[in-house]
Amino acid sequence: MILMNIIDLWNNSWPAGAIILGLGLLFSIVLLIASIKLKVEVDPKIEQVRAALPGIDCGACGFAGCNSYAKAIVANPQLIGKCAPGGADCSAKIAQVLNLQVSGGGHAKRPIVHCRSHSADRTFYAKYDGIPSCTAANAVANVQACKWGCLGFGDCVRACKFDALHVVDGLSTVDYEKCTGCSACAKACPRNLIEMVPFSQENMMTVACKSKENGKTTKSACKVGCIGCGICAKQDSELFTVENNLSRMDYVKYQPSEKTQAAMDKCPTGVIVYRGKTAPLPRPAKE
Amino acid sequence: MADYITTLLLAFTSIVIINNLVFTKFLGTCPYLGVSGRIDMAFGMGMAVTFVITLAGTLTWLVDHYILQNPALAQYGLGVTNYICYILIIAGAVQLVEMYLRKFFPSLYESFGIFLPLITTNCAILGLCIFLNLWGTEDLIKAIVLSFGAGIGFTMAICIMAGIRENLALADVPKALRGAPITLITAGLLTLAFMGFAGMIK
Repeated sequence: MILMNIIDLWNNSWPAGAIILGLGLLFSIVLLIASIKLKVEVDPKIEQVRAALPGIDCGACGFAGCNSYAKAIVANPQLIGKCAPGGADCSAKIAQVLNLQVSGGGHAKRPIVHCRSHSADRTFYAKYDGIPSCTAANAVANVQACKWGCLGFGDCVRACKFDALHVVDGLSTVDYEKCTGCSACAKACPRNLIEMVPFSQENMMTVACKSKENGKTTKSACKVGCIGCGICAKQDSELFTVENNLSRMDYVKYQPSEKTQAAMDKCPTGVIVYRGKTAPLPRPAKE
Repeated sequence: MADYITTLLLAFTSIVIINNLVFTKFLGTCPYLGVSGRIDMAFGMGMAVTFVITLAGTLTWLVDHYILQNPALAQYGLGVTNYICYILIIAGAVQLVEMYLRKFFPSLYESFGIFLPLITTNCAILGLCIFLNLWGTEDLIKAIVLSFGAGIGFTMAICIMAGIRENLALADVPKALRGAPITLITAGLLTLAFMGFAGMIK
């Protein structure tokens, strides 16, 4: 009885099976022929260069992803060295693949936010209740008293693919453990507060302010702004220059020394701070 | 002849607006919600779907009509295998087209090459092939028009959605509704709007 059923099933179903098998066979043959006839030769160097890149597709090089950057490098080797997360090691590896020599490269760049003012340190004229993005807020006059400092709506946080930026009490703060140096945040900031700096030390010293207002105006807007007094430049004239009421540091020349430490300690508003993986907390604002 | 062209035009309008696969059949919702973030991406996806759906609809109709539904082979009951055959044809044809594009149109391959393998498994494609069978489409030209129309309908739907979502990105949406929820609500309202067309063509 069971045998009869099985035979019956077989008799009824074999044409359907044959059709599917036939179609499958037809397509496999067509695809086999196509895969031979339509084969595209890919330069093996592109694959090797791609393997040397970090593969995080961050776009810091200006190309859509690691894949298209690898293709561009093989076509034009002058483009080596645009990979910020990979840094000098990556450039050297790529150069090896392409039988070239690279020179220089310098230290890996990491972002520094040129502001140290948390919400409590700033003066506000009114509460901003518009679109919660820095770009939108920046278009509003007097969104906060300081027209140079961090707005704290986190455009840079949204630009960061690596969860390395967070707004802490109204100030965008970099987590240097997670940062890859892709510079997406620097491009996102509408106030150009974030600068890519070559980190020659684990912790870099920086003047965390961008305000070019005179000392009195800066002081009325923020407790921890740079007032352009020039005390830091008196301690270390090589490193600090004061221009437009704002002290700037030459990051390339920076070496920790007693002079730099003195400049930091004597700064009346405490705007000179350390930024980096193990940076100590900046000293609190004076009342 | 004029009658025939009218039928084709009606078939085209009906599948684009009235029987739109996305709005009325809820097919292809995955790319409809997933790739509708930006208009240019949405349009690229729509074009790729249009291309694949036209190809798949035509091929499956041919196989369906001349082999599976062939009266001479009716005794074998080949109709039961149609879903599997459709899938096979869609996958095989897309694979072939992908290779062809890669060889002869590298720039086109770069622009929507990544979408092609994704679309192969899209339910809108298989859905259209099944509908062609269900609706008893009687000739090849009508099958081609319907397939092409389905693709255009999908492109229209996904582009409208992308346009709305680009504006939604700047809107002040309540926190609990941000992201997927507001997108689904938008999709529902859009569908309701398109329900207004129902019954326009019998």
